[in-house]
Amino acid sequence: MVNPILLIIAPLSAAFIIPLMGYGLKRIVKFIPPLVMGFNLVVSLSLAPKVIKNPIIVFLGGFPPPFGINLYVGPLGILFSCVISLVGFIVSIYALNYIKQGAEQKYHALYLLLLTGATGIVLTGDIFNLFVFYEILCISSYALVGYTGEKAGIESASKYLIQGSLGSSLILIAIALLYGKFGTLNMADMASRIDSVHTMELFFPLVLFITGMGVESAIFPLNAWLPDAHSSAPSTISAILSGIAIKIGIYALCRVIFTIFGATDILQFLMLLGLVTLLVGEFSAFSQDNIKRMLAYSSTGQIGLIVFAMGVGTQYGISGGLFQFTTHALSKSLLFLTTGYMIYRAGSMKISALEGMGKKMPLTSVAFTIGAFSLIGLPPFIGFPSKFMIVYSVLARQSGLYIVFLALVLAGTVIEGAYFFKVIQAIYFKGERKDDRAKEAPLSALIPVIILVLLIIGIGIYPKVLTSILDSSAAELLDRIGYIKEALK
Amino acid sequence: MVTVMKILEIIVSPLVALIVGIFFLGLFRKMMARIQWRYGPPLIQPVIDLVRLFNQRGFSHGAVFDLGIILSLAGALVLVLFIPIGGMCPLANSGGLLVILYVMLFAPIGIALSGGEGANPNISIGISRKLILTLSYEVPFIFIILSLMSYYQTISIVEIVKAQAHYHWSLFSPLFLSGVAYFMILPAMLGIRPFDMASAPQEISSGIDVEYGGKYLAFSQIEHALSLFIVIALFVNLFLGGGNLPVFLLKMLAVFVCGVFIHASFPRFRIEQATKYLWFWPTIISFISLIVIQLIR
Amino acid sequence: MLIQSILIIAFGGAFLTYILGKASSALRDFLAVLISVSLTVLIFLAYGKTGEIAFASFMNLPLVLRINHLSWFFAIAIQTVTTLSVIFSLSYMKGKERVDFYYLMMLLCNSAMLGIVLSGDFVSFYIFWEIMSWSAFLLISYNRGGALYAGMKYIVMSIIGSMCMLIGIMSLYSTYGTLNIREIHDLISTASGEYLLFISILFLAAFGVKSALWPIHVWLPPAHSEAPSPFSAVLSSILIKMGIYGFVLILYVISGAALYLGLGGGSFRYILTLLAAITIIIPTFNALMQDDAKRLLAWSSIAQIGYIILGISIGTSLGLIGGLFHFFNHVAFKALLFLAVGAIEYRTGTRDLNSLGGLIKKMPVTFIAVLAGTFGLIGIPLTNGFVSKWLIYKTLILNNHPFLAFAALVGTWGTILYSYKLIHNIFLGQLPENLEHTKPAPASMKLPFIILSVVIVLFGILPGIPLKLINLITASLGFDLLNINIWGIASESGPLNIINIFAAFAVALIVVWFFFLISGKKVVISQDNSYAAGIDVPKGKYHYTVDFYNPMFRMIKPYFRDYMDEFYSQLVKALASLSDRVRRLYCGDLGVYVIYIVLFLSILVISKIGLNLW
Repeated sequence: MVNPILLIIAPLSAAFIIPLMGYGLKRIVKFIPPLVMGFNLVVSLSLAPKVIKNPIIVFLGGFPPPFGINLYVGPLGILFSCVISLVGFIVSIYALNYIKQGAEQKYHALYLLLLTGATGIVLTGDIFNLFVFYEILCISSYALVGYTGEKAGIESASKYLIQGSLGSSLILIAIALLYGKFGTLNMADMASRIDSVHTMELFFPLVLFITGMGVESAIFPLNAWLPDAHSSAPSTISAILSGIAIKIGIYALCRVIFTIFGATDILQFLMLLGLVTLLVGEFSAFSQDNIKRMLAYSSTGQIGLIVFAMGVGTQYGISGGLFQFTTHALSKSLLFLTTGYMIYRAGSMKISALEGMGKKMPLTSVAFTIGAFSLIGLPPFIGFPSKFMIVYSVLARQSGLYIVFLALVLAGTVIEGAYFFKVIQAIYFKGERKDDRAKEAPLSALIPVIILVLLIIGIGIYPKVLTSILDSSAAELLDRIGYIKEALK
Repeated sequence: MVTVMKILEIIVSPLVALIVGIFFLGLFRKMMARIQWRYGPPLIQPVIDLVRLFNQRGFSHGAVFDLGIILSLAGALVLVLFIPIGGMCPLANSGGLLVILYVMLFAPIGIALSGGEGANPNISIGISRKLILTLSYEVPFIFIILSLMSYYQTISIVEIVKAQAHYHWSLFSPLFLSGVAYFMILPAMLGIRPFDMASAPQEISSGIDVEYGGKYLAFSQIEHALSLFIVIALFVNLFLGGGNLPVFLLKMLAVFVCGVFIHASFPRFRIEQATKYLWFWPTIISFISLIVIQLIR
Repeated sequence: MLIQSILIIAFGGAFLTYILGKASSALRDFLAVLISVSLTVLIFLAYGKTGEIAFASFMNLPLVLRINHLSWFFAIAIQTVTTLSVIFSLSYMKGKERVDFYYLMMLLCNSAMLGIVLSGDFVSFYIFWEIMSWSAFLLISYNRGGALYAGMKYIVMSIIGSMCMLIGIMSLYSTYGTLNIREIHDLISTASGEYLLFISILFLAAFGVKSALWPIHVWLPPAHSEAPSPFSAVLSSILIKMGIYGFVLILYVISGAALYLGLGGGSFRYILTLLAAITIIIPTFNALMQDDAKRLLAWSSIAQIGYIILGISIGTSLGLIGGLFHFFNHVAFKALLFLAVGAIEYRTGTRDLNSLGGLIKKMPVTFIAVLAGTFGLIGIPLTNGFVSKWLIYKTLILNNHPFLAFAALVGTWGTILYSYKLIHNIFLGQLPENLEHTKPAPASMKLPFIILSVVIVLFGILPGIPLKLINLITASLGFDLLNINIWGIASESGPLNIINIFAAFAVALIVVWFFFLISGKKVVISQDNSYAAGIDVPKGKYHYTVDFYNPMFRMIKPYFRDYMDEFYSQLVKALASLSDRVRRLYCGDLGVYVIYIVLFLSILVISKIGLNLW
């Protein structure tokens, strides 16, 4: 059996090898991320069937918890790790030709570090370890946002940095509070003791966690960094940030709320938070004329939907939320990747600059359309089954209030539909392009796009491939006792 | 025997309608002349005119010009078959009042198609006026028809006539207001003053008829005679209790004479004024009548 | 097996056409026609079959295809119209941009519609429904310019509708644990009245949007007039009828007549019929005021939908038969009219009623098509529209709805006015000088005209053919079989016998024709000869088609504005400004952003400690 720790070690060591590579090897540097991510993907996929049955616990340094650090490779972790490595793999292929200027080596190293952080967060079973990986993720994303060296990038990176570190420090305080109370950093151990303490004492760490992780997971009103950061980063980074990074924040939030605190009584609040995030995100996206900003706002909307689904708190609802996470990871990275070359060819991020691209870049345009349809939740694309699950889970609660919530969520979907359809119209049915600069994206960009399109359609038609892992992931989140038992075995 | 009777009815009733209609045309001119202190043409003048017109040359503008006029005359002839004329009603069981409402469309549509091909600006104006006028009087007319159908619980006109024979005329029943409204729109349906703006002779040179000559004009005249007959016969059947042939014709004559007096004493409305009038008093009265019927049922 | 193969051919054919189009356009055209025709034949062969097949599963729900009389009836209508539209497109689309894409979306939309009527459960229903929605959106936007706005209007409203439907479907699923239409029908009798009302209102919104019921009709006029004409035919004659299918499905197949009539103490039916009546009146008068031929037809479509829903929503067997028959008839004549107007636009380059005229000599076949179509639309006896309208009126009168009947009858008179305007302004009157050299419609356009005209007249004279099938459908929905013969309908309260009317007309026509022939000779002269005495007149000034019903407009225009459209526009404007304000939350000032974070934290703390909210 492959040791799951490889999933973290491989990208981490590769990230450190890259800067060490001499000038002669500079040309092959860009092939390292696809290789590593491909490896990660294979490992994650091969682990998946086993993990669904029984989670794998790995002790680092040989000490069992609560004394040593452990990795808890459950279905949830492996689901996230699969998606991370998949998107990471695809985006790194895209980057082969796309990343040409600037500090190329550093880009690839940071890219791998970001993914290391992400993978680490979803696999670790230790709260402080989680924080460390969290910082790796955040810091590498700050750097990547400002990577192009343009003024806008630097500005938004520093904004992101300040808000992100504010969030991180809140998390750190929360961890310190918990450590002071329980004298342990292991999540399972912490979870097993949490019932012994008065709720008022748990309240502060919980609130600090929600706020701190809310910043990275872009919950309104903590997501102010997102539109700037996502729109000024290069498209590959936007894809990763939107597709992966902010979802990792949600993972951490759910881990804390569901597993450590077992705070099911705040779920309705979480739902409300998701709803507000969704509506604010969709509304803000509606009046955007900058395509990347629009996509960024749409990401916050989608985050809202995921949080909303998580807040439903039933097995089906959380499965739906996780499914929506997968949907968004695939669709949004597809959207960012396709717009990447469109913007590059058009030389502007204005939606009006993309007019007439449908003829010049037919495949890219079709892919964009499919990504947008999928995000809106139109069949037969992947967005439909996930929306299906969320809607069903809310209605299964059989409550009038929930139906009102659902109506608002779907109103958000309508707005989302409106602005995406507007872009699609602009691409296909508006304007004529006379310039020869606009031509189809290169093969290295088309291959990842086509892979994503096939996945989106394939899973959309046959969502069953995901159901078993989604169900057991949701079960893992809901079954606190089981988690504690497995981890402390 | 029954079939022979039926066939006889089918032949006789259009003939009756034709004779009565043409007689009315002649009477119309004679009465108007007498009201205006003229001597006037003889009663059979329309027949003389028709015979002459049938032998004259007519101008045509194309296939639809011919087809439209034929269609409209055929429609008028068929419509006669749906209307009980003193106990004769060849097509009693083929859809009743609803079909009558529809078959009444043929004449104006046929004329309109034919006139459209004529491309004379006067025709265009005439048709436009005619169709607007039709829409205008149709609103109260539909209320009236619906009151009747809903009072007698049938869509068959023969049944309505029968029911009146058993009790009393519709005019002296709760349908009184409907009858009044019908009488108020009668001039519009007949196309006489104050509602003759569609064929205003001095203003748009008879409008629809302006391009007709020879047999076309003859057909148009016959159609006009038939529609005179139909509108009055409907009124007699629906509100004045029908009756056997002589009684029926007498009642028709009475209604017709009233119509001529109205024609003689009013000036012409403008089309907007006509629409305003028709959508006001007759509509309100017939609407109230419909509500009354709904309440007492 | 037959049903699956129909859908496989339909979907596969659509994509194959697209791929083939990249290689050769002639081959693509051929394939598109071949697929449509073979689908028509296949569906025709499926007549009378009933059955249900689970063909796949989705989220642990079996996806079921089923065929019965109802779905066959809709399927054959869909496929016929698409086939004819595809044949029409052969010349209409020649030389335009993105023809491959056009055929793909046309056939995809067709397949999705077939899927809708053939699906036996709500998941597949919804999936096909959405595919239909977006493929139609892409085609509505095809013409660029104003079409973009039309497309947006359409898709936003149809998303709102389908979201309502999604809630309804999922609610059914969470309540009954199944989405199979047959099983839900068996279970629904246990439902409480409020729940049923809730579900019905959701579906009413969903299907109302698609079928353009009055307050939610505003997408239709721009969408139908801006789409490419062959697709306008598809849109107007079948796509909006999917809403009708939905109504039949939810009111009769799922709920059943008894439950439907009792819904909300009968008030649901009352409101539905009222909406249908308004849907007849207002759009009819709006149609009267249009100067764009296709927009006129689009408004007319809404009005006719009002008739169909009126027939269906009354809830008696006669009304349902009338409604379904009127659906079928509307399919025939509205497709015909849109195609004919398309042919005129194709030949003259305009569809503005004020600048056309006198085309009867140039495009005689098209004229006959429009004549047949408008006669059907008005419901002149001996066309199919007459029979269905007669059935609807009769239902209304027999069930004592005189005010609804009034709406229906006045609507018919309005129909006459706008139909005549359509004929007169295009074909009659004087030929403008710039149209002197107009060529007749090409053969591939004439074929659909002829077929559809024959259908209109044939089913007008022999209404028994479709009525027998519709009778079977209503019987399968739990109504009594009516006594229908090939000539019409025999019932106690006043029968309808088309043969008598037909015979009378034939005889009258022959008699009049005979007199016409034996009487004095006719001389065919030029139009100018008699009134202008042969003098050359400036035709522009003597062309009285502009503002044809001007006296009427002056009176009714203030009352018949599209208030709903204005209302929605205001709503959208308000939403847009709201969204702009929301966007300004992200002001770009880092200090404010940090305050957001701190505020969020402190609100959480205060709500717990100060207010003890959670």
